[in-house]
Amino acid sequence: MWRLKAVRHRASRSAKDLEEFKHKRREHEKALRQARRDRQLISKRVLLNEDEEQEKDVMETDGAPVSPDQIREMIRSVQYGGEERDTHLAMLRKTLRDPQTHLIFTKVENSMYVLVGQLSGHNAQCQLQAAHCLQELSQSPHLGVGQACLAATPYLLTYLSSPSTKLTELCLYILGNLWPDGALVREKLLAQGIVTALANCIQNQRFNLAVVEAVGFTLSQLLQEKDVADKVIPLVMASGLVPHLISFLTPDPEFGLGPAIECAWCLHYLMSCDVDTSALLNHGVISHCSNLLITLGGATAKGSAEEGLELLIWPLLRCLGNLLATEVYEGAGCPVGVEDARLLVALCVFSQAYLSSHSALTRESLWVLNNLTADSPVFCSAMLFFNLVPHLLQLLPFSKGINSMVLRILGNIACKGAEYCVQLTYAGLLPALSATLRMADPDVVTLSLEVLHLLSTCSPQVAEEFGRLNIVPLLEAIKYYNEKEQCVRASYILDCYFHKHPMVDHQS
Amino acid sequence: MSDLIKLLDGGDEPRIGIYTIPVFKTSNEIKPHHLARGGDGIEENISPFTFTPQRIRLDKDDESFEDGDVHRHLYLQDLAATLAEDFQAPKVSEFKCHIAGCRQLFDTLEGYEHHYNSLHRHVCSSCKRSFPSNHLLDIHILEWHDALFQVMAEKQCMYQCLVEGCGLKFRTSKERKDHLIKTHSYPSDFRFDKSKNKSRIKEKTPQQKDVCMVDPSSVLSGELENSNSMDISLPQMSENKELVLPKQQKPHYSYKVPSSVCFGQGSVRGFRGGRRKK
Repeated sequence: MWRLKAVRHRASRSAKDLEEFKHKRREHEKALRQARRDRQLISKRVLLNEDEEQEKDVMETDGAPVSPDQIREMIRSVQYGGEERDTHLAMLRKTLRDPQTHLIFTKVENSMYVLVGQLSGHNAQCQLQAAHCLQELSQSPHLGVGQACLAATPYLLTYLSSPSTKLTELCLYILGNLWPDGALVREKLLAQGIVTALANCIQNQRFNLAVVEAVGFTLSQLLQEKDVADKVIPLVMASGLVPHLISFLTPDPEFGLGPAIECAWCLHYLMSCDVDTSALLNHGVISHCSNLLITLGGATAKGSAEEGLELLIWPLLRCLGNLLATEVYEGAGCPVGVEDARLLVALCVFSQAYLSSHSALTRESLWVLNNLTADSPVFCSAMLFFNLVPHLLQLLPFSKGINSMVLRILGNIACKGAEYCVQLTYAGLLPALSATLRMADPDVVTLSLEVLHLLSTCSPQVAEEFGRLNIVPLLEAIKYYNEKEQCVRASYILDCYFHKHPMVDHQS
Repeated sequence: MSDLIKLLDGGDEPRIGIYTIPVFKTSNEIKPHHLARGGDGIEENISPFTFTPQRIRLDKDDESFEDGDVHRHLYLQDLAATLAEDFQAPKVSEFKCHIAGCRQLFDTLEGYEHHYNSLHRHVCSSCKRSFPSNHLLDIHILEWHDALFQVMAEKQCMYQCLVEGCGLKFRTSKERKDHLIKTHSYPSDFRFDKSKNKSRIKEKTPQQKDVCMVDPSSVLSGELENSNSMDISLPQMSENKELVLPKQQKPHYSYKVPSSVCFGQGSVRGFRGGRRKK
């Protein structure tokens, strides 16, 4: 289900709730960033169920943790409950919402045995309730709990082919949440054929988008884990999953972005491994990604972009960026698959639209632009043809990789020769450079000098412009007072184009 | 963004085939070690420039992917919500004054330029004082650092009006000051026309990297004048930590006097005696 709507509902309940929500979010964000730096970024998905909202209010929290005896009692009533079993299971499920109960539960004898028994039984209601219980357990941060759930995995995998799509969906999320719980779990699941099961599932249930989303999520968990990448990836590539992933990239307007998001992140994880991408290219990933980005760019430009669209744009950009970097280009510098030049326009749209909310997305859009324009007269010409350079220049004030990437793109264009340099000058590049030359970031200054040099070699009028824009004293200042990288470049430009005295060997 | 919208929402023929774009002629492909263009230089200068177009590949764990990954995971944990200020705003590049000894940082280009224009533009290379305009700098150099000035001031009106475009000249600095007050409604404490003896802080011999005239340690370092000074006695005098570019674009009269001509310490000292002009 499309989750952002649900989140909004929860968070808008009261000002106090909103504050709590924001605080929780900040804490989690900090933890996630640290986890990523430690290369341990994993998340378990919390399933929101429609009935959960009402139940949350009803549930009493007396604060006292459940005792093993109470759990034992609950299990016994499930085991021997007869007609009432599903009610007792529902009680158990409610109890298991409290993460503190998880470890207690797994320590009670027979607990998992009973639960798995219900999961594999004949009563459909009990099956579902048992699955819900397992789903709560799978969200536990304790590794021990995940490993205890291993007893259930053969059934979980079997039920991926179940005609009950609700059960299938639950099983998928359980498996996805269990995957990060240790090498033993992963080993078992691989041996039990999880990849093939996922492939069959997405094939059989391709008309049920909720299931597709769940498959996507679980697969993304598999692909994100670095340790087993060498085992998982070949299996995934051989399984026939990739064409399905590509086909679900285009979001369904009614269902929402969920499935597209999951499939896109899967493709990104695949793309950025050292995998042989030629197989992927044969599936037309580049053309799919670029056409989709153009559509999304149109929506973004018009302001009709759905909330959360960036969750889809992000992995698409990364797929495309990395594919372009590994792709062999044809003759005039044009990769196979990018046929519609409006991709450049879409990328510019993203870079501007998300600047204030997600500036990293701006940077990644520019990264893809760099990969398109590097060594490509066709795309460089297209940038000029669509008059996109002024849009790029507007991004020069921004740091953290944004202005340096813009300068790279401008350098790509300038490298192509005199006509390109002339067009860049018409677009107002020189005044922009006179600003970036004054910036504090040394990389920005170096890149600016590189671009300046490219422009100067192409056109003598540029030198006149320098004088008008007072760039010469600035270069002098850089030459005397900056670090070596900038100093030698500034000296060279001055010597070549402004000082009419014989060359001095600056290497000494 | 309206032009971009038009491009993306093209109506009948939306798609713009990449091969339909006219391609500019490529030329002059820049190689990293191309030879320098200079004519008379015999030595070949290896170009220090290294930029080449590069397609960049980023690993899934690259740190530049951090923000996107965190956003994705917040979503998985049900914590993504645009309403909750899930914003990573961009950071603006700072500008740095490139003058050694200054190194000040600025948030805006305007701030930087204002700083540069106020403090580094019109600077006297002899005494390092900074002036708000070329005109005032010219007058300063003339009246402070030009030995000829004192001589000529004996005979003619040499003290120029500070107001640009006025053009009047006066025999003494007091006359000029009166003129400024009467005709141009300047305040009597106009900071660029302060009496030198009051405002002047102990002059330290400025470091002179370039040869002004005769020996730098002598009179030209600001001890020549007993006239009113027009320096900027801005607060920056105390915090003035910047050095000045060694080379000014200004014509300095002091540079023009050949070193063989000696105005001599004797003659100057005579002036320094405090013989006030009317």
